[in-house]
Amino acid sequence: MTTPVGERLAEVLERLAGRWDAAEVFHKTGRSRSVRYAGGASCSAFHQEEGWAARAGDGRRSFFYAATGAPRPDAPWPDADGRGLRLPPARLVPEWTPPLDLDASLLGENEAQAFFEGLDRELARELPGARLARGELDDGSSEAHLASSREVAARVRRRAATLYLEAVGPVRGGRAVTLRAVEREARRFQPLALARRLADRLAIGERGTAPARDRGEFLLAPPVVVSLLDALSPLWIGPGAVERIGQLVDRRGRVGSPALTLVDDGRLPGGVLSAPVDGEGQPTREVVLVQEGLFRQPLLAWWQATPSTGRASGCAARPGWRDLPSPGPTHFYLRPDPALRAAALVEGLSRGYYLLDVEGAPRLEEAPRRFALPVCGFAIDGGRPTGSVSGAWLVGTVTAFLNGILTAARDLTFLPSRSGLVGAPTLLVKGLELRRRRDRSRD
Amino acid sequence: MAAAADPALSELDHAGIARSLSQIADHRRDLADAFFERLEVIELPPEDQHGGIRVRRESGVAVRLVRRERTWLATRDGISRETFSGAVRRVARALPRTAYPEPLFPEETWTEAPEAPEVLEFPAALTRALRAHHVKLSYRLTVRRHRRWVRVIGTQLASGVERESFYSFEAETPWGRGGGLLTELGERAAESLAGNLVHAWRAREAAPPEPRQSTVVLAPAATAVLLHEAVAHALETDTLELGGHPEAAIGVELGAACLDVFDDPATAPEGVRRKADDEGHPVVRRCLLRGGKVEQPLADGVWARRSEMLRAGAGRRAHRHLPPAPRSTHLELMGGKAAREELMAAAEGGLFLPEAERGRLDPRTGELELRFAYGFRIRNQAPGVPVGPATLRGHVSDVLKAVAGVAGDAACAGAGWCAKGGLKLPVWATAPDVLLAAVRIEP
Repeated sequence: MTTPVGERLAEVLERLAGRWDAAEVFHKTGRSRSVRYAGGASCSAFHQEEGWAARAGDGRRSFFYAATGAPRPDAPWPDADGRGLRLPPARLVPEWTPPLDLDASLLGENEAQAFFEGLDRELARELPGARLARGELDDGSSEAHLASSREVAARVRRRAATLYLEAVGPVRGGRAVTLRAVEREARRFQPLALARRLADRLAIGERGTAPARDRGEFLLAPPVVVSLLDALSPLWIGPGAVERIGQLVDRRGRVGSPALTLVDDGRLPGGVLSAPVDGEGQPTREVVLVQEGLFRQPLLAWWQATPSTGRASGCAARPGWRDLPSPGPTHFYLRPDPALRAAALVEGLSRGYYLLDVEGAPRLEEAPRRFALPVCGFAIDGGRPTGSVSGAWLVGTVTAFLNGILTAARDLTFLPSRSGLVGAPTLLVKGLELRRRRDRSRD
Repeated sequence: MAAAADPALSELDHAGIARSLSQIADHRRDLADAFFERLEVIELPPEDQHGGIRVRRESGVAVRLVRRERTWLATRDGISRETFSGAVRRVARALPRTAYPEPLFPEETWTEAPEAPEVLEFPAALTRALRAHHVKLSYRLTVRRHRRWVRVIGTQLASGVERESFYSFEAETPWGRGGGLLTELGERAAESLAGNLVHAWRAREAAPPEPRQSTVVLAPAATAVLLHEAVAHALETDTLELGGHPEAAIGVELGAACLDVFDDPATAPEGVRRKADDEGHPVVRRCLLRGGKVEQPLADGVWARRSEMLRAGAGRRAHRHLPPAPRSTHLELMGGKAAREELMAAAEGGLFLPEAERGRLDPRTGELELRFAYGFRIRNQAPGVPVGPATLRGHVSDVLKAVAGVAGDAACAGAGWCAKGGLKLPVWATAPDVLLAAVRIEP
């Protein structure tokens, strides 16, 4: 007979709490389907995972032990070493209604195969000769339980699907374009819309050129803004953020333009990673980091929060049983303007660039804080595209970017990032520069 | 240090497992196998991190069925009759005609207490080694011991238990971060890491080299990364497939005539030496390049079934949840006749690059990029003044054809973690210094 999870956790906790001041047990189960598609060949996998982890210690020493299977009170614990452990107390968790689609069935093997075949077909229709070179679709659900010697008891259920696509155009030896997307359920991915995005990117990559150097107004589509926000996200995390942000504040005390509001929200309605508590059982909440250009507070785990640094954010990320909780964003986003369409911003752009996507990872220099982002898109004149742009760097200082945001559209889009999800709408920005990439100047 | 024997895998009922698999391999050319894995990672985190020593122990099984171009994989955590049979049922395409009794599995629990005194002692050894350099540096050090046992049982073959044991470290300093793999942890390893940290510290404010064609000498650790990116990745069948048929690469002149490169897991350093790959095939001493010409690409079992010109034996799995892929294990560049001083004399005024921070090969365009945190200007046949961060860039074939000399003394080095296609694998190399004539160096 299988012991219910709660009882198992209690048994382990009792064993550890008898010896240590602080103890915590975490257990997670999950099932997922992943389908890898590469032209004619495919791999369909089904994973069933179960693992647990325990932390225990006192003020001077502690250990972390994680293993597959169900929690074991008789586990061979390691010797604790010279670093102490503190655990958070139980806190009141505001009422939480789980999303309705948590129980939806995982994508079937044939459904996934049909999804890729359909996407491949649509891509060839949009851009003859183009094909899907590689696709990876993961659709999974999980349930985690947490109990600690400080009365924390939590249960979190999640559902998430991620998609990675790599497409190549009709020109042999050309660069591949990639695309990542995330939804709560795999059935929400739209093959036609995705095929169009890939086709646009391929067409731009093949025809696009880059100006040697140009300035002007830039419309940055969500993937471009997300890439920048993701690279800048460490700025806002932890007590050191106050000093880091201090270097970006101008004489008026502003860190960005009035159109800049940055938020992290662990219980974002409809968010893929939304949950009532974080990885240490602390209640999640909306945390406004920057409000209309003014810095409010950093993202802080409970053990980093003091009266001088700000309130705890409920932001301890714990992706799985193998991981220790660490502070990080869940749904980190730039707040959109619900009244403004992205199309209206394009129509209103007299001369500039509409940058649709990134062609690689950003480069960030520490001091002075400058960035360079490989981008592609269109040159715009009189609200109309006049040519494709590819092989260009979008360059500027972090300060120029944050202060140069003129308006935000309403098309908030979340994309998977190094940690959690990062979201952004289309932005109209000034004060940046476009430069031709050296690797393209030899083309 | 070799990993100890593992009764949970050595006492598996291989006949019973093979019989069960034969029930799902019901087409003539079907391949069915079961991959059993146990692993342990003991980590000592940096001193300023929350919590003490960390231990992770995993076990699980993956059952795979390959039929023509399609692969089905089912993975379960834990090794038991229940997890194995559950995975077999998931992969089965039809109900078996005959039902054999389920195989028996030995009791599978970790009973030994996790201990790695050498890991706990390493930070002190590094402090002592740095003191010998009369340098006190600020750094954050993470050290891990990795142990893994794998066994593959299929309908046609069954491997013995393969064991791996090695160490990895990450060192983070205010002027950069680096990491590496080691087969032994002790005073010698601490001395080597201390030397690298001191070099990086002395070069922290050095100006990067001007962008230009330059003559370069790569030390063994940097050569290891060059071999991994430019030879191994370029000759993996999943890379070659992007350009057409992998067999078409055989006989192609990829590099200079002085390049004889092998992949031989059986001659890898003790602790990571292999007799069989992660598909159960016996490993082979595979000549990748002979006289600069491609002789035998890296292939796994699936690729070898598709072509008589390809040989299995290079199938590697990062973990049970991913299918195998063709990857190198231990690369060897056959030593030349030159002494390091002769290579340095030929590169007077050029750069000496001791170790690469990271490398990347674009599989579609063949563009190679190796990043170095620091280097030295060569003066009087020896490393002279330090230079700051540098990037070696070029087409893979141009870079390999630029090899103008190979030294005689080879050294064993961990080429690092390979992360191609989401598979994180440790890779090793035995390589001497090489001289590259006229390669593109950029800041």
